[in-house]
Amino acid sequence: MQVNSVLVVDDEAIVRESIGDWLKDAGYRVATAQSGEEALDLIEKQDFSVMVLDIRMPGMTGLSVLKEVKAKRPWMKSIVITAYPSAQTTDEAKALGAIDYIIKPVAPDNLERLIRETLVSVGKEPTVITRPEVPPKPPAVEVRKLLVITKEDLKSLVNGLLGEMEVVGVRERYGRYVYDRVVSFEELCLDYDVTVLPPTKYLLPARESLLRFSMVDGSSEPVTADGPRAIIGVHPSDIRAMELLDEVFIAANPDPNYIARRQNTIIIGVDDLNPSPKSFAPSMGTSQAETGFDLLLTDIGTGYMVTVGSEKGADLLAMYTQAREPTGDEIARQRVVREEALTRYQLSLDISRERLPKLLEESYDDPFWESRSRTCLSCGSCVMVCPTCFCFDVKDEVALNLKEGERLRFWDGCMLVDFAKVATGENFRHDRASRFRHRIFRKGKYVIERYGRVGCVGCGRCAIACLAGIASPLEAFNAIADSARAKQAAARVLRQAMGEAELYVPRPAELVRVEKLTEREKLFEFRLRGGQKLGHRPGQFVEISVFGIGEAPISIASSPTRDGTLQLAVRNVGDVTGALHALGEGAVVGIRGPFGNGFPLEGLVGKDILLVAGGIGLFPLRSLVQYILDRRGDFGKVILLFGARSPAERLFLGELAAWGQSPDIEFQETVDKGDDKWTGHVGVITTLIPRVQIDPKKTVAVVVGPPIMYRFVVGELKKRDLADENIIMSLERRMKCGVGKCGHCQINGVYACQEGPVFTLAQLRNLREAL
Amino acid sequence: MKPKVAFFDFTSCEGCQLEALNLTGEELLDLVGAVDIVNFREAMTERAEDYDIAFVEGSISREAELPRLQKIRDQAKLVVAFGACACIGGINCLKNHLPMDEALRIVYGQDAKYYDTIPARPINAVIKVDSYVRGCPPLTAELLKVVKALLLGKKPDIPNHPVCVECKMAGNVCVFERGMTCLGPVIRAGCGAICVTGGRHCWGCRGLVDDPNLDSEKEILGKYGLTVAQVVEKFKLYNTYAEVPK
Repeated sequence: MQVNSVLVVDDEAIVRESIGDWLKDAGYRVATAQSGEEALDLIEKQDFSVMVLDIRMPGMTGLSVLKEVKAKRPWMKSIVITAYPSAQTTDEAKALGAIDYIIKPVAPDNLERLIRETLVSVGKEPTVITRPEVPPKPPAVEVRKLLVITKEDLKSLVNGLLGEMEVVGVRERYGRYVYDRVVSFEELCLDYDVTVLPPTKYLLPARESLLRFSMVDGSSEPVTADGPRAIIGVHPSDIRAMELLDEVFIAANPDPNYIARRQNTIIIGVDDLNPSPKSFAPSMGTSQAETGFDLLLTDIGTGYMVTVGSEKGADLLAMYTQAREPTGDEIARQRVVREEALTRYQLSLDISRERLPKLLEESYDDPFWESRSRTCLSCGSCVMVCPTCFCFDVKDEVALNLKEGERLRFWDGCMLVDFAKVATGENFRHDRASRFRHRIFRKGKYVIERYGRVGCVGCGRCAIACLAGIASPLEAFNAIADSARAKQAAARVLRQAMGEAELYVPRPAELVRVEKLTEREKLFEFRLRGGQKLGHRPGQFVEISVFGIGEAPISIASSPTRDGTLQLAVRNVGDVTGALHALGEGAVVGIRGPFGNGFPLEGLVGKDILLVAGGIGLFPLRSLVQYILDRRGDFGKVILLFGARSPAERLFLGELAAWGQSPDIEFQETVDKGDDKWTGHVGVITTLIPRVQIDPKKTVAVVVGPPIMYRFVVGELKKRDLADENIIMSLERRMKCGVGKCGHCQINGVYACQEGPVFTLAQLRNLREAL
Repeated sequence: MKPKVAFFDFTSCEGCQLEALNLTGEELLDLVGAVDIVNFREAMTERAEDYDIAFVEGSISREAELPRLQKIRDQAKLVVAFGACACIGGINCLKNHLPMDEALRIVYGQDAKYYDTIPARPINAVIKVDSYVRGCPPLTAELLKVVKALLLGKKPDIPNHPVCVECKMAGNVCVFERGMTCLGPVIRAGCGAICVTGGRHCWGCRGLVDDPNLDSEKEILGKYGLTVAQVVEKFKLYNTYAEVPK
């Protein structure tokens, strides 16, 4: 693929041509299209790294183009330009995968910088410069208004809510504070410092059901019901954490369970005038909230100043209180109590928080991570009490009749030992230092880069919960930085989003054929119920589901160019794979997906292809081999190298023999250790590479194998002068949810299930955890 | 055909078997619907020597128990260690801190010569164990979970993270913040932090996680006022076997 190729789509000739010219001058390869239809035609023939796309065009609109592109070219980055920004279209565009948007008239520098940044990193860093002022929005009546209520009013409001729904609030327990159900106004505490657990537990509970399933007929249905609830007394920092969760669970792949809860929740915030000694919210810019609540109270002594945050909040005030306009004195009083509260924070960041991502990046190899994590208990307390932690695990629980059960989601966290461990036994973050660093990087770098919101709201809960006394991100940030001060904030409006009810629901698929490959591996051929095609690309994976056992990520071993079935080759190594191996033809399993980016097929067109498969790395690569053979004319020379540990572990014997005979493909194989009957080549896979003829200028290598293999194969390929962009690898990780949320597959700031699992070596050079 | 399940007890109080009888009527009926219980001294008089899954309660503390346990292993397709004594040695291992003849003398006085004893140990020190139902006493919910997993041919999902995780999920105020000390940070979860939720602290009955940071835990116990001897005492109760050289 041409890494700096840009497609500019705009119906206005002057805009199209001038953007095209700037970018050409800046050294990009540019193509232009004057309509959505023309753009899709071009994309069909050629792969572009970035598309700059006008939203309003006659004929096909920009949003429909994005929709098509998201389905067909999910790896392609898009930047949307519009003369008429509205929150709705920009949000829609982002949900359809647009990286960012720019308002016309476009400044060439901004656009060029945005494209450059988009190309540099796989995980896109949101740019601040091009973000428009808050897009115009019809002013809602009463929202954003300041009113005053008395303490009696508040009591009447709470009693009103108690009559309508479940009310939770802050109560004292053992000298600390917890969120719990309240049954009367008197139980509520509003001047607390910090609670043990954050109120986010009501949006993402410690344990919740995602699906109910039947193991008899393989059917399942999503479970999302949750009643209305009011949370009273939420501190601004926790409101800001909820806004991050909104971004995570609503923006892309809208999570039906989260959204059901969020939309059923009334949030009544209260300014934190009595901050915990461990809090540093002002340093993170989270000690106040402008949005994200229905009502926000400030205790001004004589009563409460109320900021109305939503129409729902306005309605509640109207129904239950005698709210009135504040006097000038009262407005001044609110400012004074807020300012006084700021002076009560005892901790602060020594640097500006905007500098955190870069500082962390530069401190990746700092001895601090190792020395500071020595006493880490891996007890998970820090992540369990964190309002911005949202990673989860998914497990099946079955009834004793073994006929039905539930698929449950539980809190999980990257500080726990087995978080990044896969069924084969590999643990991608096996030591305390790498787990500790990962958490701090999420708090200070990865989350802000991925979601545009701070990953730590400075509530201080982790610092209180950590017995070893090492968990506070503030301490880590300050330890790796020197001086300067922090200030700045951002805000976002809760989207009126609908969840994708089917997000976690597998599609039933029938097992139509099973073939034993070796002692440990079998090939399974599935047909989706109803006969639809899965619509995958070679290199993508699915989550395969055996109800009662669980879900496992399996790469797809067949090409979409073959018939309507789907083949998965599976090693029997864990619970789900064990259960699959026990299935016979006719059995029904669940399939979600396809997920991940797949191999960059368009970038391979016209190239010589060197495929290197180690062991069961042949499984995903087989889909690409089939694809190439089915479209043989599109590719230059094709070489396939395959290495197995022993002759008994060779896979797809029939196909190996056929490839060996085929004039379409040059096939060589080796085994690490031979046996009496083996007459072929013996040696590790790297020993085959010097034996092939390749032209480094025309060749793209695609390498798939066990983690240990990559370093050595890459070394050999570099000896043959292949550029980093032309070495492509597919990485194994623990993909649990497949939709970029649960966190298990994360490689530094990148989610393998979203931006991966296929990466170029050039991309991996920036991902230190990758190899 | 339903798998045949047998319960056996070694050196123990038989509290684990008693706990199994605390299943609700409905659960018990479901269990009996899923498996045939052929041997269960606490609950039935009949006995059979033909079984597929053996639940073994108690630790091993006499020579004579070694061949008996081996025989169970030879017969059963799956052996499940049932309860703290079987899983980690449990409180029976307290005697391992003494020379064996002294332990005999303290317990049996003049009659010590009629008895034999060996250092107590969990059953996996003697035979291969397929699965564990941990705790003192074990939870009926976990017993059912393990039974279901075995019936499904799935590895029972017993966490390898400390009790703190579930304690936080339960919303508890940390024991250390309440002026007590706790083994939760190094003890395997799965109990839902039942003791802390009930107002106490973790005693360690489920045994250590796979890679416990014992140095750090001991440092923390010291920081919260325990002397070295008190720290040792705390670990001794259930975790002597893991703590003393074998």
